Amino acid sequence: MLQTILQRSLWVVVLVAAQMIVFNHIHLWGYATPLPFVYLLLLFPMGTQRWTAMLWGFVCGLMVDIVSLTPGVASGAMTLAAFIQPPLLQLMAPKDALEDMQASPKAMGLWVYVRYAAMVTAVFTLAYFLLAVFNFFHIRDVAIACVTSWLLTLVLCLLFESVRSK
Amino acid sequence: MRALLEFIAKYYHWFMLVALEVVSIVMLVSFNRYQGSVWVTTANAALARINAWEHQATQFIHLGQANADLALRNIILEQNIAFLSQQLDSLTHDSTITERLQAERTAGFDMVHAKIVTSSVMRRDNLLTINVGSADGVKPEMGVICGTGVVGIIHTTSEHFSIVMPLLNSHSSISCRLRKTGYFGFLRWDGKSPFFAILDDIPRHARFRLGDIVETSGFTSVFPRGIFVGKVAAIENSDDGLSYKLRIHLGIDFTRMQDVSVIRQAFQPEVHELESQADSTFAQTH
Repeated sequence: MLQTILQRSLWVVVLVAAQMIVFNHIHLWGYATPLPFVYLLLLFPMGTQRWTAMLWGFVCGLMVDIVSLTPGVASGAMTLAAFIQPPLLQLMAPKDALEDMQASPKAMGLWVYVRYAAMVTAVFTLAYFLLAVFNFFHIRDVAIACVTSWLLTLVLCLLFESVRSK
Repeated sequence: MRALLEFIAKYYHWFMLVALEVVSIVMLVSFNRYQGSVWVTTANAALARINAWEHQATQFIHLGQANADLALRNIILEQNIAFLSQQLDSLTHDSTITERLQAERTAGFDMVHAKIVTSSVMRRDNLLTINVGSADGVKPEMGVICGTGVVGIIHTTSEHFSIVMPLLNSHSSISCRLRKTGYFGFLRWDGKSPFFAILDDIPRHARFRLGDIVETSGFTSVFPRGIFVGKVAAIENSDDGLSYKLRIHLGIDFTRMQDVSVIRQAFQPEVHELESQADSTFAQTH
Protein backbone atom coordinates (compact mmCIF):
# COMPACT_ATOMS: atom_id res chain seq x y z
CA MET A 1 0.00 0.00 0.00
CA LEU A 2 2.70 2.40 1.08
CA GLN A 3 4.84 1.29 -1.81
CA THR A 4 2.00 2.00 -4.20
CA ILE A 5 1.55 5.46 -2.75
CA LEU A 6 5.26 6.18 -2.98
CA GLN A 7 5.43 4.91 -6.55
CA ARG A 8 2.46 7.01 -7.62
CA SER A 9 3.84 10.04 -5.78
CA LEU A 10 7.09 9.59 -7.65
CA TRP A 11 5.21 9.38 -10.93
CA VAL A 12 3.28 12.55 -10.03
CA VAL A 13 6.50 14.43 -9.30
CA VAL A 14 8.16 13.23 -12.48
CA LEU A 15 5.15 13.97 -14.69
CA VAL A 16 4.53 17.41 -13.15
CA ALA A 17 8.21 18.30 -13.45
CA ALA A 18 8.27 17.12 -17.07
CA GLN A 19 5.20 19.14 -17.80
CA MET A 20 6.64 22.23 -16.14
CA ILE A 21 10.09 22.01 -17.60
CA VAL A 22 9.48 20.60 -21.05
CA PHE A 23 5.91 20.15 -22.28
CA ASN A 24 4.47 23.52 -21.22
CA HIS A 25 6.84 25.11 -23.70
CA ILE A 26 5.79 23.03 -26.69
CA HIS A 27 3.10 24.45 -29.00
CA LEU A 28 3.35 22.65 -32.32
CA TRP A 29 1.95 24.77 -35.17
CA GLY A 30 0.55 27.08 -32.55
CA TYR A 31 -2.05 24.50 -31.58
CA ALA A 32 -0.71 21.20 -30.23
CA THR A 33 0.29 21.28 -26.57
CA PRO A 34 1.28 17.92 -25.05
CA LEU A 35 -0.35 17.08 -21.72
CA PRO A 36 1.20 13.70 -20.89
CA PHE A 37 0.66 13.93 -17.11
CA VAL A 38 -2.64 12.18 -17.79
CA TYR A 39 -0.48 9.08 -18.10
CA LEU A 40 -0.79 8.82 -14.31
CA LEU A 41 -4.39 7.62 -14.77
CA LEU A 42 -3.31 4.92 -17.23
CA LEU A 43 -1.08 3.47 -14.54
CA PHE A 44 -3.99 2.63 -12.23
CA PRO A 45 -4.63 -1.13 -12.19
CA MET A 46 -8.01 -2.76 -12.55
CA GLY A 47 -10.01 -2.70 -9.33
CA THR A 48 -8.87 0.76 -8.35
CA GLN A 49 -11.61 2.55 -6.44
CA ARG A 50 -13.11 5.51 -8.24
CA TRP A 51 -12.59 7.85 -5.30
CA THR A 52 -8.90 6.87 -5.18
CA ALA A 53 -8.47 7.57 -8.87
CA MET A 54 -10.30 10.89 -8.60
CA LEU A 55 -8.25 11.97 -5.59
CA TRP A 56 -4.97 11.16 -7.30
CA GLY A 57 -6.10 12.79 -10.49
CA PHE A 58 -7.23 15.92 -8.67
CA VAL A 59 -3.96 16.25 -6.72
CA CYS A 60 -1.83 15.68 -9.80
CA GLY A 61 -3.87 18.17 -11.79
CA LEU A 62 -3.69 20.70 -8.97
CA MET A 63 0.09 20.48 -8.93
CA VAL A 64 0.22 20.99 -12.69
CA ASP A 65 -2.10 23.97 -12.26
CA ILE A 66 0.17 25.45 -9.63
CA VAL A 67 3.29 25.19 -11.74
CA SER A 68 1.48 26.25 -14.94
CA LEU A 69 -0.49 29.11 -13.33
CA THR A 70 -3.80 27.68 -14.57
CA PRO A 71 -5.71 26.99 -11.32
CA GLY A 72 -8.67 24.68 -11.78
CA VAL A 73 -8.09 23.70 -15.41
CA ALA A 74 -5.92 20.57 -15.10
CA SER A 75 -7.43 19.53 -11.76
CA GLY A 76 -10.99 19.64 -13.15
CA ALA A 77 -10.02 17.76 -16.31
CA MET A 78 -8.00 15.12 -14.43
CA THR A 79 -10.86 14.54 -11.96
CA LEU A 80 -13.31 13.93 -14.79
CA ALA A 81 -10.94 11.58 -16.64
CA ALA A 82 -10.20 9.72 -13.39
CA PHE A 83 -13.93 9.29 -12.85
CA ILE A 84 -14.37 7.36 -16.11
CA GLN A 85 -11.04 5.45 -16.00
CA PRO A 86 -11.95 2.55 -13.65
CA PRO A 87 -15.18 1.48 -15.40
CA LEU A 88 -13.58 1.98 -18.79
CA LEU A 89 -10.68 -0.31 -17.90
CA GLN A 90 -13.14 -2.82 -16.45
CA LEU A 91 -15.02 -2.74 -19.73
CA MET A 92 -11.99 -3.14 -22.02
CA ALA A 93 -9.96 -5.61 -20.02
CA PRO A 94 -9.82 -9.24 -21.23
CA LYS A 95 -12.44 -11.48 -19.67
CA ASP A 96 -9.80 -13.68 -18.08
CA ALA A 97 -7.81 -10.74 -16.67
CA LEU A 98 -6.74 -10.75 -13.04
CA GLU A 99 -8.59 -8.51 -10.62
CA ASP A 100 -5.55 -6.23 -10.14
CA MET A 101 -4.37 -6.31 -13.75
CA GLN A 102 -2.06 -3.45 -14.71
CA ALA A 103 -3.22 -1.88 -17.94
CA SER A 104 -0.58 -2.43 -20.62
CA PRO A 105 -0.29 -3.52 -24.27
CA LYS A 106 1.09 -6.80 -23.07
CA ALA A 107 -1.84 -7.53 -20.75
CA MET A 108 -4.63 -6.18 -22.92
CA GLY A 109 -3.30 -6.38 -26.43
CA LEU A 110 -1.78 -3.40 -28.28
CA TRP A 111 -4.86 -2.09 -30.06
CA VAL A 112 -7.14 -2.52 -27.10
CA TYR A 113 -4.68 -0.62 -24.95
CA VAL A 114 -4.36 2.09 -27.57
CA ARG A 115 -8.14 2.44 -27.69
CA TYR A 116 -8.32 2.54 -23.91
CA ALA A 117 -5.57 5.16 -23.69
CA ALA A 118 -7.15 7.12 -26.54
CA MET A 119 -10.48 7.28 -24.72
CA VAL A 120 -9.04 8.39 -21.38
CA THR A 121 -6.79 11.01 -23.02
CA ALA A 122 -9.65 12.21 -25.27
CA VAL A 123 -11.96 12.85 -22.32
CA PHE A 124 -9.17 14.55 -20.43
CA THR A 125 -8.05 16.75 -23.37
CA LEU A 126 -11.57 17.77 -24.25
CA ALA A 127 -12.34 18.76 -20.64
CA TYR A 128 -8.99 20.54 -20.34
CA PHE A 129 -9.55 22.74 -23.40
CA LEU A 130 -13.16 23.48 -22.57
CA LEU A 131 -12.12 24.71 -19.12
CA ALA A 132 -9.12 26.62 -20.53
CA VAL A 133 -11.08 28.35 -23.29
CA PHE A 134 -14.31 28.71 -21.24
CA ASN A 135 -16.45 29.81 -24.19
CA PHE A 136 -17.88 28.47 -27.42
CA PHE A 137 -16.96 31.27 -29.79
CA HIS A 138 -13.87 29.91 -31.62
CA ILE A 139 -15.01 26.34 -32.00
CA ARG A 140 -12.83 25.60 -35.02
CA ASP A 141 -9.57 26.74 -33.42
CA VAL A 142 -10.45 25.01 -30.18
CA ALA A 143 -11.28 21.79 -32.01
CA ILE A 144 -7.96 21.85 -33.90
CA ALA A 145 -6.02 22.53 -30.69
CA CYS A 146 -7.95 19.84 -28.88
CA VAL A 147 -7.47 17.14 -31.52
CA THR A 148 -3.79 17.86 -32.15
CA SER A 149 -3.05 18.07 -28.43
CA TRP A 150 -4.93 14.84 -27.89
CA LEU A 151 -2.93 13.03 -30.57
CA LEU A 152 0.35 14.38 -29.26
CA THR A 153 -0.58 13.47 -25.69
CA LEU A 154 -1.64 9.96 -26.77
CA VAL A 155 1.62 9.39 -28.60
CA LEU A 156 3.62 10.52 -25.58
CA CYS A 157 1.58 8.31 -23.24
CA LEU A 158 2.18 5.30 -25.50
CA LEU A 159 5.86 6.20 -25.58
CA PHE A 160 5.95 6.40 -21.77
CA GLU A 161 4.19 3.04 -21.58
CA SER A 162 6.66 1.41 -23.95
CA VAL A 163 9.55 2.76 -21.90
CA ARG A 164 7.96 1.64 -18.63
CA SER A 165 7.16 -1.82 -19.96
CA LYS A 166 10.84 -2.39 -20.81
CA MET B 1 -32.41 8.71 7.26
CA ARG B 2 -31.01 5.22 6.79
CA ALA B 3 -32.22 5.19 3.20
CA LEU B 4 -30.49 8.52 2.68
CA LEU B 5 -27.22 7.19 4.09
CA GLU B 6 -27.48 4.11 1.89
CA PHE B 7 -28.12 6.31 -1.11
CA ILE B 8 -25.05 8.42 -0.32
CA ALA B 9 -22.92 5.31 0.28
CA LYS B 10 -24.02 3.82 -3.03
CA TYR B 11 -23.37 6.91 -5.11
CA TYR B 12 -20.59 8.50 -3.06
CA HIS B 13 -18.26 8.67 -6.09
CA TRP B 14 -20.77 10.90 -7.88
CA PHE B 15 -20.88 13.26 -4.91
CA MET B 16 -17.10 13.24 -4.82
CA LEU B 17 -16.91 14.03 -8.54
CA VAL B 18 -19.29 16.98 -8.12
CA ALA B 19 -17.39 18.25 -5.06
CA LEU B 20 -13.99 18.08 -6.76
CA GLU B 21 -15.32 19.66 -9.96
CA VAL B 22 -16.92 22.46 -7.95
CA VAL B 23 -13.60 23.08 -6.20
CA SER B 24 -11.86 23.14 -9.58
CA ILE B 25 -14.35 25.54 -11.12
CA VAL B 26 -14.23 27.82 -8.08
CA MET B 27 -10.45 27.94 -8.43
CA LEU B 28 -10.84 28.46 -12.16
CA VAL B 29 -13.08 31.52 -11.88
CA SER B 30 -11.39 32.87 -8.76
CA PHE B 31 -7.76 32.73 -9.79
CA ASN B 32 -7.93 33.12 -13.59
CA ARG B 33 -8.73 36.62 -14.70
CA TYR B 34 -10.15 35.62 -18.10
CA GLN B 35 -12.36 32.78 -16.86
CA GLY B 36 -13.42 34.98 -13.94
CA SER B 37 -14.58 37.79 -16.22
CA VAL B 38 -16.40 35.33 -18.50
CA TRP B 39 -18.09 33.82 -15.45
CA VAL B 40 -19.17 37.19 -14.06
CA THR B 41 -20.46 38.32 -17.46
CA THR B 42 -22.34 35.08 -18.05
CA ALA B 43 -23.70 35.03 -14.52
CA ASN B 44 -24.92 38.61 -14.88
CA ALA B 45 -26.55 37.83 -18.21
CA ALA B 46 -28.20 34.72 -16.75
CA LEU B 47 -29.33 36.66 -13.69
CA ALA B 48 -30.79 39.38 -15.90
CA ARG B 49 -32.62 36.74 -17.94
CA ILE B 50 -33.97 35.09 -14.79
CA ASN B 51 -35.06 38.50 -13.47
CA ALA B 52 -36.82 39.17 -16.78
CA TRP B 53 -38.64 35.82 -16.54
CA GLU B 54 -39.61 36.56 -12.95
CA HIS B 55 -40.86 40.00 -13.98
CA GLN B 56 -42.93 38.50 -16.80
CA ALA B 57 -44.33 35.85 -14.46
CA THR B 58 -45.23 38.49 -11.85
CA GLN B 59 -46.88 40.62 -14.51
CA PHE B 60 -48.87 37.61 -15.71
CA ILE B 61 -50.03 36.86 -12.17
CA HIS B 62 -51.17 40.46 -11.71
CA LEU B 63 -53.03 40.57 -15.04
CA GLY B 64 -56.35 39.91 -13.28
CA GLN B 65 -56.05 43.04 -11.16
CA ALA B 66 -54.83 45.01 -14.18
CA ASN B 67 -57.89 43.86 -16.13
CA ALA B 68 -60.21 44.94 -13.34
CA ASP B 69 -58.50 48.35 -13.18
CA LEU B 70 -58.76 48.72 -16.95
CA ALA B 71 -62.44 47.78 -16.93
CA LEU B 72 -63.12 50.39 -14.26
CA ARG B 73 -61.11 52.96 -16.19
CA ASN B 74 -63.05 52.03 -19.33
CA ILE B 75 -66.36 52.66 -17.60
CA ILE B 76 -65.18 56.09 -16.39
CA LEU B 77 -63.95 57.01 -19.87
CA GLU B 78 -67.20 55.88 -21.47
CA GLN B 79 -69.13 58.08 -19.04
CA ASN B 80 -66.85 61.00 -19.89
CA ILE B 81 -67.37 60.40 -23.62
CA ALA B 82 -71.16 60.33 -23.18
CA PHE B 83 -71.08 63.55 -21.14
CA LEU B 84 -68.80 65.34 -23.60
CA SER B 85 -70.84 64.15 -26.59
CA GLN B 86 -73.94 65.59 -24.96
CA GLN B 87 -72.14 68.89 -24.32
CA LEU B 88 -70.91 68.97 -27.90
CA ASP B 89 -74.41 68.33 -29.25
CA SER B 90 -75.89 71.10 -27.17
CA LEU B 91 -73.21 73.53 -28.36
CA THR B 92 -73.21 72.65 -32.05
CA HIS B 93 -76.81 71.72 -32.93
CA ASP B 94 -78.70 74.03 -35.26
CA SER B 95 -81.04 76.21 -33.19
CA THR B 96 -84.78 76.28 -33.91
CA ILE B 97 -86.82 79.40 -34.65
CA THR B 98 -88.25 79.28 -31.13
CA GLU B 99 -84.77 79.17 -29.64
CA ARG B 100 -83.59 82.08 -31.78
CA LEU B 101 -86.65 84.19 -30.91
CA GLN B 102 -86.24 83.37 -27.24
CA ALA B 103 -82.58 84.34 -27.39
CA GLU B 104 -83.61 87.69 -28.87
CA ARG B 105 -86.26 88.24 -26.18
CA THR B 106 -83.86 87.51 -23.35
CA ALA B 107 -80.86 89.28 -24.87
CA GLY B 108 -80.87 92.09 -22.32
CA PHE B 109 -81.32 89.88 -19.28
CA ASP B 110 -78.80 88.28 -16.98
CA MET B 111 -79.17 84.52 -17.38
CA VAL B 112 -77.90 81.85 -14.97
CA HIS B 113 -77.53 78.45 -16.62
CA ALA B 114 -78.34 75.39 -14.55
CA LYS B 115 -78.74 71.62 -14.71
CA ILE B 116 -81.80 69.83 -13.46
CA VAL B 117 -80.83 67.56 -10.57
CA THR B 118 -84.20 65.95 -9.87
CA SER B 119 -87.59 66.30 -11.49
CA SER B 120 -91.05 64.76 -11.52
CA VAL B 121 -93.96 64.95 -13.96
CA MET B 122 -96.35 62.28 -12.65
CA ARG B 123 -97.59 64.06 -9.52
CA ARG B 124 -100.17 66.84 -9.26
CA ASP B 125 -97.69 69.24 -7.66
CA ASN B 126 -94.45 68.54 -9.44
CA LEU B 127 -91.17 70.23 -8.47
CA LEU B 128 -87.73 70.50 -10.08
CA THR B 129 -84.39 70.86 -8.33
CA ILE B 130 -81.63 72.74 -10.14
CA ASN B 131 -77.96 73.05 -9.25
CA VAL B 132 -77.77 76.82 -8.74
CA GLY B 133 -78.71 78.70 -5.58
CA SER B 134 -78.40 81.89 -3.67
CA ALA B 135 -74.62 81.77 -4.04
CA ASP B 136 -75.21 82.20 -7.79
CA GLY B 137 -77.57 85.14 -7.28
CA VAL B 138 -80.75 83.09 -7.66
CA LYS B 139 -83.73 84.20 -5.54
CA PRO B 140 -87.36 83.12 -5.19
CA GLU B 141 -89.83 84.49 -7.78
CA MET B 142 -87.28 84.46 -10.57
CA GLY B 143 -88.39 82.98 -13.88
CA VAL B 144 -86.93 79.77 -15.32
CA ILE B 145 -86.91 79.02 -19.03
CA CYS B 146 -85.23 76.62 -21.41
CA GLY B 147 -84.51 76.64 -25.13
CA THR B 148 -88.09 75.80 -26.11
CA GLY B 149 -90.19 77.75 -23.65
CA VAL B 150 -91.17 78.67 -20.12
CA VAL B 151 -90.33 76.15 -17.38
CA GLY B 152 -91.59 77.74 -14.16
CA ILE B 153 -90.71 80.00 -11.25
CA ILE B 154 -88.10 79.66 -8.49
CA HIS B 155 -89.89 78.63 -5.31
CA THR B 156 -87.16 78.36 -2.70
CA THR B 157 -83.39 78.49 -2.74
CA SER B 158 -80.52 77.17 -0.69
CA GLU B 159 -76.90 78.19 -1.10
CA HIS B 160 -76.19 75.87 -4.05
CA PHE B 161 -79.60 74.49 -5.11
CA SER B 162 -83.03 75.82 -5.90
CA ILE B 163 -86.54 74.35 -6.09
CA VAL B 164 -88.49 75.35 -9.19
CA MET B 165 -92.27 75.30 -9.34
CA PRO B 166 -92.83 74.26 -12.98
CA LEU B 167 -95.90 74.76 -15.13
CA LEU B 168 -96.81 71.19 -14.17
CA ASN B 169 -97.89 72.24 -10.67
CA SER B 170 -101.46 72.95 -9.60
CA HIS B 171 -100.31 76.12 -7.79
CA SER B 172 -98.58 77.51 -10.84
CA SER B 173 -100.17 80.56 -12.51
CA ILE B 174 -98.33 82.50 -15.21
CA SER B 175 -99.63 85.49 -17.11
CA CYS B 176 -99.69 84.69 -20.84
CA ARG B 177 -101.17 86.13 -24.02
CA LEU B 178 -101.99 85.18 -27.55
CA ARG B 179 -99.17 86.45 -29.76
CA LYS B 180 -101.36 87.51 -32.72
CA THR B 181 -104.15 89.35 -30.93
CA GLY B 182 -102.65 90.21 -27.54
CA TYR B 183 -105.53 88.80 -25.46
CA PHE B 184 -104.16 87.55 -22.19
CA GLY B 185 -105.08 85.11 -19.43
CA PHE B 186 -103.49 82.90 -16.76
CA LEU B 187 -101.85 79.59 -17.53
CA ARG B 188 -102.64 76.80 -15.09
CA TRP B 189 -102.19 73.04 -15.06
CA ASP B 190 -105.12 70.67 -14.58
CA GLY B 191 -102.92 67.83 -13.36
CA LYS B 192 -103.68 65.53 -16.31
CA SER B 193 -101.16 65.45 -19.14
CA PRO B 194 -97.58 66.78 -18.80
CA PHE B 195 -97.85 68.04 -22.41
CA PHE B 196 -100.89 70.29 -21.99
CA ALA B 197 -101.93 73.24 -19.76
CA ILE B 198 -105.02 75.48 -19.57
CA LEU B 199 -105.12 79.19 -20.46
CA ASP B 200 -108.09 80.72 -18.58
CA ASP B 201 -109.95 84.04 -18.81
CA ILE B 202 -109.75 84.62 -22.56
CA PRO B 203 -112.71 86.96 -23.29
CA ARG B 204 -115.60 85.75 -25.42
CA HIS B 205 -115.03 88.41 -28.07
CA ALA B 206 -111.41 87.43 -28.62
CA ARG B 207 -110.57 86.00 -32.11
CA PHE B 208 -108.08 83.17 -32.40
CA ARG B 209 -107.52 79.85 -34.12
CA LEU B 210 -106.12 76.49 -33.28
CA GLY B 211 -102.36 76.60 -33.56
CA ASP B 212 -102.03 80.22 -32.44
CA ILE B 213 -98.95 80.86 -30.40
CA VAL B 214 -99.16 81.57 -26.68
CA GLU B 215 -96.33 83.56 -25.06
CA THR B 216 -95.57 85.34 -21.78
CA SER B 217 -97.39 88.65 -21.44
CA GLY B 218 -94.64 90.58 -19.68
CA PHE B 219 -97.18 92.02 -17.23
CA THR B 220 -95.15 90.68 -14.29
CA SER B 221 -91.51 91.17 -13.50
CA VAL B 222 -90.89 87.40 -13.59
CA PHE B 223 -90.74 86.83 -17.35
CA PRO B 224 -90.05 89.30 -20.12
CA ARG B 225 -92.70 89.61 -22.83
CA GLY B 226 -92.70 87.19 -25.72
CA ILE B 227 -91.21 84.01 -24.24
CA PHE B 228 -92.79 81.06 -26.08
CA VAL B 229 -95.14 78.90 -23.99
CA GLY B 230 -97.03 76.72 -26.45
CA LYS B 231 -99.76 76.56 -29.09
CA VAL B 232 -103.55 76.46 -28.88
CA ALA B 233 -104.59 72.83 -29.18
CA ALA B 234 -108.30 73.00 -28.19
CA ILE B 235 -110.95 75.57 -27.33
CA GLU B 236 -113.46 75.08 -24.52
CA ASN B 237 -115.92 77.24 -22.64
CA SER B 238 -115.11 78.21 -19.08
CA ASP B 239 -117.17 76.73 -16.26
CA ASP B 240 -119.24 79.92 -15.87
CA GLY B 241 -119.58 80.37 -19.65
CA LEU B 242 -118.26 83.97 -19.57
CA SER B 243 -114.86 83.29 -21.13
CA TYR B 244 -112.92 80.74 -23.13
CA LYS B 245 -110.66 78.09 -21.69
CA LEU B 246 -107.87 77.19 -24.14
CA ARG B 247 -105.97 73.91 -23.96
CA ILE B 248 -102.36 74.75 -24.73
CA HIS B 249 -99.87 72.26 -26.14
CA LEU B 250 -96.74 73.16 -24.16
CA GLY B 251 -93.50 73.86 -26.03
CA ILE B 252 -91.46 72.01 -23.44
CA ASP B 253 -91.23 68.27 -23.03
CA PHE B 254 -90.75 68.12 -19.24
CA THR B 255 -89.97 64.43 -19.38
CA ARG B 256 -86.71 65.01 -21.30
CA MET B 257 -85.61 68.43 -20.15
CA GLN B 258 -82.08 68.73 -18.70
CA ASP B 259 -80.75 72.26 -19.07
CA VAL B 260 -82.51 75.44 -17.96
CA SER B 261 -81.74 79.14 -17.44
CA VAL B 262 -82.81 81.39 -14.59
CA ILE B 263 -83.69 84.94 -15.57
CA ARG B 264 -82.12 87.45 -13.19
CA GLN B 265 -83.84 90.78 -13.62
CA ALA B 266 -81.91 93.68 -12.13
CA PHE B 267 -84.95 95.69 -11.06
CA GLN B 268 -87.15 92.84 -9.89
CA PRO B 269 -86.67 93.57 -6.12
CA GLU B 270 -87.45 97.24 -6.72
CA VAL B 271 -90.63 96.33 -8.63
CA HIS B 272 -91.66 93.92 -5.88
CA GLU B 273 -91.12 96.58 -3.23
CA LEU B 274 -93.16 99.09 -5.20
CA GLU B 275 -95.98 96.59 -5.71
CA SER B 276 -96.07 95.71 -1.99
CA GLN B 277 -96.15 99.45 -1.08
CA ALA B 278 -99.13 99.98 -3.43
CA ASP B 279 -100.91 96.96 -1.98
CA SER B 280 -100.46 98.25 1.59
CA THR B 281 -101.66 101.73 0.57
CA PHE B 282 -104.85 100.31 -0.92
CA ALA B 283 -105.35 98.16 2.12
CA GLN B 284 -105.18 101.23 4.42
CA THR B 285 -107.55 103.20 2.15
CA HIS B 286 -110.18 100.46 2.26
